[in-house]
Amino acid sequence: MTFKIPVTLVALGLALVSVAAAQEAAPKAAALDPAFVVGAPKGKPLDGKALDTRTEEVGELLRCPVCQGLSVAASPSSMAANMKAEVRSLLAAGYTEEQVLAYFERSYGEFVRLRPTLRGVNWVVWLGPVAALLAGGGTVFLALRRSAAAAEAGASPTDALPNRDTLPDDRALASAVLRIRERAYGWPGGVAPRAEP
Amino acid sequence: MASPAPTATAPAGARLNRVALGLGLAVVMPLLVILVLNLGRDPHAVRSPLIGRPAPAFALTPVGGGPPVTLESLRGKPVVLNFWATWCVPCFQEHPALIAAARRLGGDVQFLGVVYDDEEGKVQSFLAQRGQAYPSLMDDGARAAIAYGVAGVPETYFIDPTGKISAKYSLPLDFETIVQEVSQARAGAR
Repeated sequence: MTFKIPVTLVALGLALVSVAAAQEAAPKAAALDPAFVVGAPKGKPLDGKALDTRTEEVGELLRCPVCQGLSVAASPSSMAANMKAEVRSLLAAGYTEEQVLAYFERSYGEFVRLRPTLRGVNWVVWLGPVAALLAGGGTVFLALRRSAAAAEAGASPTDALPNRDTLPDDRALASAVLRIRERAYGWPGGVAPRAEP
Repeated sequence: MASPAPTATAPAGARLNRVALGLGLAVVMPLLVILVLNLGRDPHAVRSPLIGRPAPAFALTPVGGGPPVTLESLRGKPVVLNFWATWCVPCFQEHPALIAAARRLGGDVQFLGVVYDDEEGKVQSFLAQRGQAYPSLMDDGARAAIAYGVAGVPETYFIDPTGKISAKYSLPLDFETIVQEVSQARAGAR
């Protein structure tokens, strides 16, 4: 036990010395430079009111990674505040909206974009609802047109019933169905009348 | 009472039903397949796009002062980069495992803590009470955390000797996992 503290201190000291020694030999680090991720700024450096406004706008396009569906602009979390500060710093340096989004996407993945880009499988997200609406509308349109065509041909609504002659295999049930049809529709014996040729 | 003979041809309604069934299956089956394939997956887990790519460079000042530590200077040996904070309860649980692994693996592996959204004084008290086996670095403005895609603490990144991220964990680690991932980071760089 008496040896533990000195050993720990020596180990920690060695670790710090080795890291510090490595620093001397290291080239100057391009630490956390966004230019290494998204290239040189392509826009105009912003400041003042314009910077405040654009920070909010771009923050609305970024998902707060620790929240449930909140944007960086809307979230009160410290992570969102840090991300918003980073957005502000990037915009102030002249990075464009797309460059800012790409910078965050590189670290967090496309998940961080609240508005998915139009590429790959994302087309399904954008076009899926439209396709579903068109398919549903088409189905309804065809069904209405078929119904209207049947009405024009003089067929009664009961003619449109599917399998009106079909009866269950069970004899007791079949005879019950026939009785009900006779009472409900007035068909003699429960048998549907044949359409006149 | 004789039952009438069933109709020989399939009525239009039945044909429509088959079409509706086919269309319905075409929509539902892919969704079912996606559901089944993802049953064992944590819906909140998002795979880091940085895995297999170069780790973001950083230059961060150690807790207590000193020259900034850069990632580039550590090239040539695996790095275990642990984002943590004193207010994070799971970080308390993980701390002994990280210290034990750092002591076991010695100088061949560089362990680094990166303090996320915390005060230096509290970090120093924490380390004085609970022990320290490797440097912890202050990350002002969480810029390093953002560059690494940190979404909460603890998060640990394993970086291979060539500087690429080999694995990321978003949960408190145990000793065995740390040793295993360091070993894989070494192997992956060969």
